[in-house]
Amino acid sequence: MGYKKPLPKPNADTRPFWEGCKAHQLRFQKCSQCGHLRWPPSVICPICHSSQTQWVVASGKGRVYSFALYRVAFLRTFEGDVPYVTTVVELAEGPRILTNIVGCSPSEVRCDMPVEVVWDDVTDEFSLPKFRPTSGT
Amino acid sequence: MDLKRLKDRYAIVGVGYTPQGKVAERTALSFYIEACANAIKDAGLKKEDIDGLICYRHFEPLGDDVEVTPYLVAQLLGIRPKVLAQEANCARNQMLHAIGLIEMGFCNYVLIAYGDNAYSGRRTFMKEATHGEPVADNAAFGEFGLIANYAMAARRAMHLFGTGPQTWKEIAVSQRKWANLNPKAMMHDRPLSYEEYMAASWVVEPFRIYDTCLISDGGRAYIVTSTERAKDLRNPPVVIMGIGQSNPSVDVHQSDFMAGPTGAKIAGEIAFEMAGITVDEIDACEIYDCFTYTVEITLQDYGFFGPGEGKDWFKDGRTAPGGEIPVNTSGGLLSEAYFMGLTPLTEGVMQLMGRCGQRQLGHTTETKEPQIILCSDNGGVFQSHCAIILRRL
Repeated sequence: MGYKKPLPKPNADTRPFWEGCKAHQLRFQKCSQCGHLRWPPSVICPICHSSQTQWVVASGKGRVYSFALYRVAFLRTFEGDVPYVTTVVELAEGPRILTNIVGCSPSEVRCDMPVEVVWDDVTDEFSLPKFRPTSGT
Repeated sequence: MDLKRLKDRYAIVGVGYTPQGKVAERTALSFYIEACANAIKDAGLKKEDIDGLICYRHFEPLGDDVEVTPYLVAQLLGIRPKVLAQEANCARNQMLHAIGLIEMGFCNYVLIAYGDNAYSGRRTFMKEATHGEPVADNAAFGEFGLIANYAMAARRAMHLFGTGPQTWKEIAVSQRKWANLNPKAMMHDRPLSYEEYMAASWVVEPFRIYDTCLISDGGRAYIVTSTERAKDLRNPPVVIMGIGQSNPSVDVHQSDFMAGPTGAKIAGEIAFEMAGITVDEIDACEIYDCFTYTVEITLQDYGFFGPGEGKDWFKDGRTAPGGEIPVNTSGGLLSEAYFMGLTPLTEGVMQLMGRCGQRQLGHTTETKEPQIILCSDNGGVFQSHCAIILRRL
């Protein structure tokens, strides 16, 4: 019984991010010139066009920027998950990434709610960064 | 940017329709050809007059269809235009390109077209979004494109300025009333009440089924030329008073425009400045309405009302037949049929030509006699916006 849902398809730009996820790290490119953390990955910084880049690890803390509640399964493999929440989380360091909220009921999700990363090790190759409400808030 | 010299210099002279809604056993290409041929006929032109052909973005072919290219459309129309083009990613610049080509003397008559067999071909619109992230990476989280992208934008707007179903039901119901007057509309025979709207099933919350546009078979086309040439043709010319475009481009996930201002703000400002008018002089609007929220945020960004004021603004049928400012008088993408920005734009043209039968603005529908109509086109997920102000010559 393998994992049946779609998996990421890393390309030359996104591979370092997914390799980071496998190590349970949220890695982003940081511009060495202006300090901007960018997403999605790219060869230059969209703010200052510098190509000097380092990969840094984000804290995994953030807030729900917005979310959508799937009431219908667009793929059969998600039928068991409906209703589920897809979310854009704005990380404390700036980048906004698409993810899911877990660890609370869909009706409890709110914009600007504080969340933290939790790793879903779906296969040996892939860990998906998901987010849960920050404990104690 | 001084666009004022271009005001009223270009006109739309013909519109091409096809059978639409559920039309089985047809290729997408066949709808392009039929819509184009009908637009040429409608304008009273010969096919040899067409020296520019611009096709909208075409999605991946369905079933065993061939890929729609402007080469094929030209071949099957039997024309050899000087300029052929097709946009790749919903940028919706077609009319600007047409005006530019005519302005520089390269073309005289530019034909712009779209067609699809999306209904019969069961297009799911799961791959068609224009993300910065690979589609498979988003699918890993159960995110499948356009409905959720716009739903997320609408959710942010609910959070920031308190919009929601109470606003959107007015949009859905008012547009349905227009569709009920339009025999070509897919929803012509299907009235919609507030109660039915509120009781409808969710698709991706906060959107119910009636917040989402239709998926249609069919095509649409129109022809742009100079106002001087337009005066010699058979239809009353509808001139382009103002046009503005803005392309924020950023994927909605990383955008700062979920709750506006979208590209509509800058595009609208450019178009109104060129036209030398304000929103108060607009008699009706034909707004790209992939979702109800798109109508709200577009009109909000144009300045018809402030953030969150749409809830009252749309009330009491203001945009419905008999209303003060009619919006989406064919039923729009929500209730007529989906032909990208050509559903709203061609409706604006047909209204100003006075060819809309039972839904004609003016005394027939107890609305203002239309002189000036504001149309919009929107691509991607608020990544591209075109505002077009049309007037009767």
